[in-house]
Amino acid sequence: MAPALIFVGVFVLVPLGQLIAMSMTDRSLLGGGRFVGFGNYIKIWNDAGFWRALLFTVKYTIVLTPILMILGFGLALLTVDNTPLKRLTRTVAFLPVVIGLSSSSLLWFWLFDEQVGLLNKLLTDLRVIAQPMVWFVSADLAFWAVVISITWKVVGFGMVLFIAGIQSINPEIMEAAVVDGARYWARVFRIILPLSRRIILLTTLISAIGSMLAFDQFYIMTSGGPRGQTFTAVYWIYQNSFVSFKLGYGAALSIVLTLIILAFSTLQIALTARSEAK
Amino acid sequence: MTSAALAPDDPAVAARRPRQLARTAYLTAAISIAVIAVMGAPIVLSALASIKTAGDASASPPHYLPSALSFENYAKVFRFQAGLATYVGNSALVALIVIASCLAIAAPAGYGLARFAMRGKEIAFLVLLAPIMIPYQAILTPLYLDFAKIGLVNTHLGLAIVHTILQLPFSIFLMRSSFEAIPREIEEAAVIDGCSSWKRLTRVFLPLATPGLVTVALFAFINSWNEFLAALILMSRETSFTVPILLVSVRQGHFGAVDWGALQASVIISIIPCLGVYLALQRYYISGLLSGAVK
Amino acid sequence: MTTRTLRAALAASLVASTAVAATARADTMTMWVRASGTNAASTLVNLWNATHSDKVELTTIPDNQMVTKLATGVQAGEVPDLVSFDLIYMPDFMKAGFLTDLTADLKANPNFASVAKAYVDIATYEGKLYGAGFTPDVSILVWNKDLFKKAGLDPDKPPRSVPEIHEDAKKIHALGADTYGFYFSGSCPGCNIFTTSPMMVASGSKMLPANGNDDALTGEGVKDVLEQFKEMWSEGLVPKSAQADNGSNFVALFKTGKIGVQGAGGFLISDLKRDVPNMNFGVTFLPGMKDGEVSSFVGGDVVAIPVGSKHVPLAKAFIAWELTDEAQLEGLAKNNILPSRPALADNKYFAADPRIVTTAKALGVGYVPWVYHFADMVNSDSSPWINMLQRAIFDGDVDGAIKEGREKMKAIAAE
Repeated sequence: MAPALIFVGVFVLVPLGQLIAMSMTDRSLLGGGRFVGFGNYIKIWNDAGFWRALLFTVKYTIVLTPILMILGFGLALLTVDNTPLKRLTRTVAFLPVVIGLSSSSLLWFWLFDEQVGLLNKLLTDLRVIAQPMVWFVSADLAFWAVVISITWKVVGFGMVLFIAGIQSINPEIMEAAVVDGARYWARVFRIILPLSRRIILLTTLISAIGSMLAFDQFYIMTSGGPRGQTFTAVYWIYQNSFVSFKLGYGAALSIVLTLIILAFSTLQIALTARSEAK
Repeated sequence: MTSAALAPDDPAVAARRPRQLARTAYLTAAISIAVIAVMGAPIVLSALASIKTAGDASASPPHYLPSALSFENYAKVFRFQAGLATYVGNSALVALIVIASCLAIAAPAGYGLARFAMRGKEIAFLVLLAPIMIPYQAILTPLYLDFAKIGLVNTHLGLAIVHTILQLPFSIFLMRSSFEAIPREIEEAAVIDGCSSWKRLTRVFLPLATPGLVTVALFAFINSWNEFLAALILMSRETSFTVPILLVSVRQGHFGAVDWGALQASVIISIIPCLGVYLALQRYYISGLLSGAVK
Repeated sequence: MTTRTLRAALAASLVASTAVAATARADTMTMWVRASGTNAASTLVNLWNATHSDKVELTTIPDNQMVTKLATGVQAGEVPDLVSFDLIYMPDFMKAGFLTDLTADLKANPNFASVAKAYVDIATYEGKLYGAGFTPDVSILVWNKDLFKKAGLDPDKPPRSVPEIHEDAKKIHALGADTYGFYFSGSCPGCNIFTTSPMMVASGSKMLPANGNDDALTGEGVKDVLEQFKEMWSEGLVPKSAQADNGSNFVALFKTGKIGVQGAGGFLISDLKRDVPNMNFGVTFLPGMKDGEVSSFVGGDVVAIPVGSKHVPLAKAFIAWELTDEAQLEGLAKNNILPSRPALADNKYFAADPRIVTTAKALGVGYVPWVYHFADMVNSDSSPWINMLQRAIFDGDVDGAIKEGREKMKAIAAE
């Protein structure tokens, strides 16, 4: 226990402290900067771009998380038996998880590309659309393009966590239900789901935190476009810190974002604890 | 065994509805195949594109199959700057250190959280969760400047420490659940036999928690292997760079132009080691999360 | 001492002194280069390594991380001995004090006097010099001669004004729905500052402000060129995909032979010759609104010595060497890369291909902006530059776009 706390203490809390200190200065990436107290935080309050980005990030999280959870759980139900076909399905569904995020995002960027992308060609050949379309010129289409690519990449992870949950349910409970004549879907909703509550909440938490911190996929696929409509919170921090060189301001933005995520996670954990006590 | 829990119905009941049983079986099989097709298609297309010639890979409109087979994309990645072997060596070394540290730190921590009642346990848990809540790009700059002062930049150890920080929360989760899943009776038996706390951990718990340990190792490997930003910031010489940096550099052209052929080759190259590790550990892995995250 | 001991001692000291001499001589310098400049830099580095006992070890940094890496590196004391990076970052780095003063050494170097003026200007701060041109690139206009011929245009006569580009584009698009007259990457700020801004500069405009009191986007050139682009877009002379192209397909379409005319860089020449050897293409200067007005964006990499380097004299020797005839000709020109000394443009390697000579000459008619926060003003994904282009060309509001762009750029320059 102690080594873990020391490790996190030294390597996380110390830089975090420095980040907080930096957030109270107007430090530039190129060095220098004076103490400005809470000046940066006041600027954040008035920074329309940040709030827009944050709202977009929240929208992204709210849309993506249920999709991942439902599909992940569905895949888990589908592949939980150990037949060869199901095992193969499990492996193929998990495969995207092992690819790096930037490679995977660029791969989908290529697929969606109007000129060189095979997805457009496929859709045209299947007569789903009349001709190749430009996905990234509309904020909505760009949003869905990213959601599709991330779902592909990450759903296998949820699937595997849920399979573990399902397989650990006491088989006696399941057999009793079968003997009682309970049909398949009844078993799923009355037994499996309630008993998986903790793993579902845990996975939802990790997934949501990850989505709130989304950056790479948007940086690579949409470049924040069109017209800055698909900037996420971390993308906004990146722009301010590393492109505009405002490291101090970027630090303040990061602290604000972390606090928001912390509040949200504490809430989730409290809810989990309470539901377990029931 | 447990899979029977979800098999359509038990034999006695099933005998009464053979047609429905067969229909369900066909349906799930069909869905499975659809899933395989949808999930696997991008990778298959990428693999096909990676063996096209460079010009072919950027063709517009694109073709599904290569018109001429060529390994020039792979050659480009293999030969780039310090050579693929160097990068693989660095990535592998860092990953090994990460695996070792994650296991060494997360196992006792998970054990402590699972077994010992203490005040402030939930707070400690939140603290240990902190690393994943901070935007990682932001924390890297102070961390880098600190590491420079203590001489950890451009070292495999320094990078491994950063990767470990990122992996610890999830690893501790897994180990905690893994230990919690071990029945108390076994532990009590060990106490009765006179084992010390440490001996209980090493002789009794660790063997039973092997699946969990293997899972921690697998994810530590995958995430360390694919990590880009910290690797770039911390390393200052080409000979210390890791695979992800190579993959980004090799596909960059002027003004954001992308060498699509090199991209596809990079995707395939980055999959292979991780896939290899995953398949090798499949056995432990699935049952690892089995005892893992629940309860 | 016995003879044997004496001989042994002599041998030992001989070995020792050779060893000391050897280690004293074989130093290794480290050099960082951005990914897109790696190929060009390698030509010079390999040539140096082949002819010198001290070596240069090249490290490739992905383009968009170079500034961050160098900035954090200098502050942490982890710097290379040499760095090759996009020249538009020079003002920021010079002001921040990251680079070593090279004034004395460069001024004393006879070769430096013949370096293109743009490279001298961009590397000057408060009267001192901090870098030298290294692997130049410059923007030019390329045209597809095969398409010109098919469209009934003289394949050897490129358009000499922006309205003429427009006219030619119309004729080429008439060849078929799949063939387009013109191309530009609508979401790529860097591509456009490289190829579109010279058209505006050639028409008399000044682009970017150097400080809060400086003017931005002056003259009619900006408006006129944007109007032309807007019309070409609305007439369908540019592929739909151009709007969302962030640069990843900057030259990809031209390579497929479906584009009649577009702006590009010198780098494209060797790319085309390698990837589509059968294409007949021509190279000319980027024009302004009127025949005879020409300009270009003088870009590429400069080389400098970061503060904190441990091999400063050796690094200075490298820079002095790369300006010599031998390096410029055998390293750069031989590999179809432009030398930073325009006087060397007429050399035996370029003689075979007059297009490269034209490109080298473009260095002499071009401009390079000297501003701080270039990334913020131009290259960023949310920059005033790209917003202006998109608002003017795709939304159709040219005047509003220019006004907004001007205000935002001046605000950034005032910081």
